Amino acid sequence: MHSSTLRTAPVHLTRALQHPSFTTAHSLRPCVVAKWLQSRRLTTASPRTQEVIPLRKHLKDEAKRKKAEVKRDGDVTSKKQTLDPRLDKWELTVGIEIHAELNTACKLFSSAPAEVSVGDDGGSANSRVADFDAALPGTQPQFQIATLLPALRAAIALECEVQRKSGWDRKHYFHWDQPNGYQITQYYQPFAKDGSLTLGAFDGVPAEDLNGAESITIGIKQIQMEQDTAKTMNVGSSTYHVDLNRAGMPLIEVITLPHIHSPQTAAAVVRKIQAVLKGVDACVTGMELGGLRADVNVSVRQRGTSGIGSSYSGVGGLGQRTEIKNLSSFKAVEDAIVAERDRQITVLEAGGVIEGETRGWTLGATETTRLRGKEGEVDYRYMPDADLPPLVIGSDLVQHLKTTMPMLPDAVERDLEEWHGLSRKDAKTLNEQDNGDRVEFFERTASFLLAEVGTFKSEVATTKERRKTGKLVGNWVLHELGGLLATHQRSWDDVRVTADELKDVLVCLHKNEITARAAKQILAELFQRQPAPDGPYWPSMDTRPSVEQLVDAGNLRLRPLSEDEYEKLAMQIMDANPDMVKAVREKGQKGKVMWFVGQMVRQGEEGTVEPEKAKVVIERLMGG
Amino acid sequence: MAIVLEIFFVSLSRSDLPGHSGGRDRDLTSASAQHFISKVKNVMLSARFCWRNASRSCQVYRKSHSISQQLNAIVHNGRPDPGKSADASGFLSGKTVAVKDNIVTKDLPTTAASKILTDYIPPFDATVVKLLQQHGAIISAKTNLDEFGMGSHSQHSHAGAVLSPFSKNGVPLSPGGSSGGSAVSVATGQCWAALGTDTGGSVRLPAAYTGIVGFKPSYGLLSRWGVIQYANSLDTVGILARSVADTKHLYGCINAYDQQDPTSLSATVRERLGRKGADAKRLRIGVPLEYNIDELSPVVRATYLRTLNALQNAGHTLQPVSLPTTQPALSAYYVLAPAEASSNLAKYDGIRYGYRTPGSDASAKNNLPLYASTRGEGFGEEVQRRILLGAYTLSSEAIDNYFIQAQKVRRLVQRDFDSVFAQQHPLLERQAEIPSDEGGVDVLLTPTAPTLPPTIKEVKQQSPVESYMNDVFTVPASLAGLPAISVPVRIIGREGDGLEETDVHDVGMQLIGQFGDDELVLQAAEVVVQ
Repeated sequence: MHSSTLRTAPVHLTRALQHPSFTTAHSLRPCVVAKWLQSRRLTTASPRTQEVIPLRKHLKDEAKRKKAEVKRDGDVTSKKQTLDPRLDKWELTVGIEIHAELNTACKLFSSAPAEVSVGDDGGSANSRVADFDAALPGTQPQFQIATLLPALRAAIALECEVQRKSGWDRKHYFHWDQPNGYQITQYYQPFAKDGSLTLGAFDGVPAEDLNGAESITIGIKQIQMEQDTAKTMNVGSSTYHVDLNRAGMPLIEVITLPHIHSPQTAAAVVRKIQAVLKGVDACVTGMELGGLRADVNVSVRQRGTSGIGSSYSGVGGLGQRTEIKNLSSFKAVEDAIVAERDRQITVLEAGGVIEGETRGWTLGATETTRLRGKEGEVDYRYMPDADLPPLVIGSDLVQHLKTTMPMLPDAVERDLEEWHGLSRKDAKTLNEQDNGDRVEFFERTASFLLAEVGTFKSEVATTKERRKTGKLVGNWVLHELGGLLATHQRSWDDVRVTADELKDVLVCLHKNEITARAAKQILAELFQRQPAPDGPYWPSMDTRPSVEQLVDAGNLRLRPLSEDEYEKLAMQIMDANPDMVKAVREKGQKGKVMWFVGQMVRQGEEGTVEPEKAKVVIERLMGG
Repeated sequence: MAIVLEIFFVSLSRSDLPGHSGGRDRDLTSASAQHFISKVKNVMLSARFCWRNASRSCQVYRKSHSISQQLNAIVHNGRPDPGKSADASGFLSGKTVAVKDNIVTKDLPTTAASKILTDYIPPFDATVVKLLQQHGAIISAKTNLDEFGMGSHSQHSHAGAVLSPFSKNGVPLSPGGSSGGSAVSVATGQCWAALGTDTGGSVRLPAAYTGIVGFKPSYGLLSRWGVIQYANSLDTVGILARSVADTKHLYGCINAYDQQDPTSLSATVRERLGRKGADAKRLRIGVPLEYNIDELSPVVRATYLRTLNALQNAGHTLQPVSLPTTQPALSAYYVLAPAEASSNLAKYDGIRYGYRTPGSDASAKNNLPLYASTRGEGFGEEVQRRILLGAYTLSSEAIDNYFIQAQKVRRLVQRDFDSVFAQQHPLLERQAEIPSDEGGVDVLLTPTAPTLPPTIKEVKQQSPVESYMNDVFTVPASLAGLPAISVPVRIIGREGDGLEETDVHDVGMQLIGQFGDDELVLQAAEVVVQ
């Protein structure tokens, strides 16, 4: 096993993972295989093979889809956005279990270092393994108190009641990714209970779920800490390599109540929990890198009935549920629930009965597949771990963490919206990108800019100015820099432009010293240059030019034309395009004015024509 | 194993051991696990009843190294490193200590007498081994045991059964278990003292059966880091030695907090333990009625009564006490210990170390689950039995009736003990009402085992449940985590009528103290020996 294979599994592995039948070469009892091979595999897959859909695209697609639906259905049914008339009769209920890797320096029960996150190649296989992680005889777990902090932050962020006393239990099953033969988890007494998560339309909750309200609240039953398993890779047809580096890493499992009634909301819940966990630094790796996985419990019942009276997590009156294990993307969560809901309705409408079973889902499939029924259920034989004393968490610690918590994503977004004047959509996008680095960059640039161009005359003026500069910076950070990153296929880590530099560019723009076009040119130039060796904020003069230098070197400084010069340029273009002039003057196509503005900017000397002024001149001449 | 045993019989008869005339076999009827009380009776009724004086001690056997080899007490001999033990100032300088082979040692293979750990050499030393070496002791050998400590006679070992140096009618006696190898090594003088482990009596019983001292301290005092788990809520490192003084000496060297063992008692807790200046001059000795049953073997009963009388004459007070959960305790133990064993032994899969079956270990053809071959071949019969038993009592259908019930019984056992001791349990919340009429007792005195050791032939004819009965007097202290010691009391006069010269001539007497009262228990042990 080479170190390079640790993070990115070979393609053949990923493929193998999606086919439960591949176990024939080294066959095991089906139920064990079903659960741990068919599903766990997905988590070792390379990020590239996972479908990552940025929020922006998701929202766009969603809007497009809705538009298309409205169009197709006509105005008559436009209020009902669901296509399947059966959903009038059947109500879906979903509960979710999310497993997330905690952001810690060491493993849960040994001082072996935890995996370093993104960017690290993982080190060599089995290099971060303490005696206990390899389950050597005579070794015992030693709870690493530091792992509790991110877990507590997660619990607080999800509004849970942190339990003063919780315990550790062993969950037994045999698999090579589980060296001790059991996983230490918190089955009988989890450390956090009774939380909640509030979601609104901007989180992706569909209108029919909101039912007129601004937001809905999903109950969190509990959060527990537990150990992760080792990573397995198959080499050839019947050989497996086991890497214990991940074995014993701390995870939290977040269990929601079955309060969710649509696939979109389910996906939104997973997305939001991920955002919250990242926001409070409880987790660093998202779903796209296998740092987060979800199991969903799906049931349907006829509306207005209490199903077959089934219940779980203390919520009753439900239909028989099935569990879909190990979903590793938001899209998989949504699609798998849709498929399972439809399957259950079809079975029930045909007079059938839903079996309580575990099912699997592969990306791109149209149906969930049965993994095992109740009879194949693994009996985990939970028992308390006698080596580990109960976990006692003082209320003073919880209180301290509460007062020092980073802002939650919702609060950050509200702040961006209300303080900096961004739209909610831009605020959300900004916040969800690059683990918060982008927001931080934005905030720095915005404050630098305001410091230079702000007038601080009065409260009102300041708010207005702040929102104006906020919007400007937001635009440039999100769209201009975002565009450059996309074009050059670079990540935010390699953005190279500093907040100071962007501020300088925007100051020039704000003071009308350069045109927007020139500003973009300078930004692109800075983006291409090597980063300053002396540090990100104080670029060394000899290797990296300042914005000032670039403006001068490119002869980009705005040299305003006189009124006469503007008119001369405008007349020139109007004379050359009589048809267009006619279109504006006689047909009243006011939009064509902008075409003339564009021509003026293009034909005028670089850095001389300001579009606003050009527009005024064209309009005057056209009217005259 | 059968073949190995035969070889021992042959070699024993060749070494001029006395002949025998039979009549000693037990007549045990089979019984269900639920009827522990009737089981106890069966054991008592069939106990030996021999009337012959004898006076020779086990010392006879010390001189012959070859015999002790034939006793199969040792699985690996130590490699004394003169450089290491050069520190003459150590408290244990130059003293040889044998270590039970379920305590890991970096320089010597550690197998727990199991095929599944074939050739396993641990990469680290157990904390207790480290402490021994720091004090200058020489690890002389790794001693044989019941596989993973599961047994009461040291007969279930992949390295072959251990034999007691004592015999009856030419048949060797049981050395007791599971620390039988350590006990025999000490009794035959192959080492100064030995470490064992005691989960339900595994140090005390072999000590009683071989006429030496066996001490199980309070749970949490001696580090278990590096002690291969059997039932980790009960496992305790124990000491086997020829005198209480030696026991004390060794205990003092390894009794220390270890941060690597999460169940090790911290320094602050240790300060609260025991009483300051424990004094055994005027002991209040509890005599548990439940232990003083009609079916006690006559020689054990006679020795027990004589010991009690002698103590009373020496000015100590005797006080009858009641421990009503004594009998359910054994049932609870044989639910809890296998349950924990099934969990603790789940790690042996042949992947990272130890024995692995040749070829694939998961055959769909045979419809076998993962690791079935490795574990089926690597574990002995008794270990497999206990794993199965434990897996069952933890299963979702049985856990409420077995595991949970047994935990409740365990709590009751502890409460029983708390109600008779004068000393409060230092780890429990102080009760509002101080228990006990007359202020309670300091220590309890009981026999360690209901009978003298059976022969290995008799052991062989016992059903597993019958052999579990040996632990009836030792298990309660284990469940409550209390300090307990077995000391040999000489059989004298007519008590020993019918004993052959080669037979054991000591009865193990057990002293049990309140949690953390280890010092007092050791002092009381010296009193009893006198």
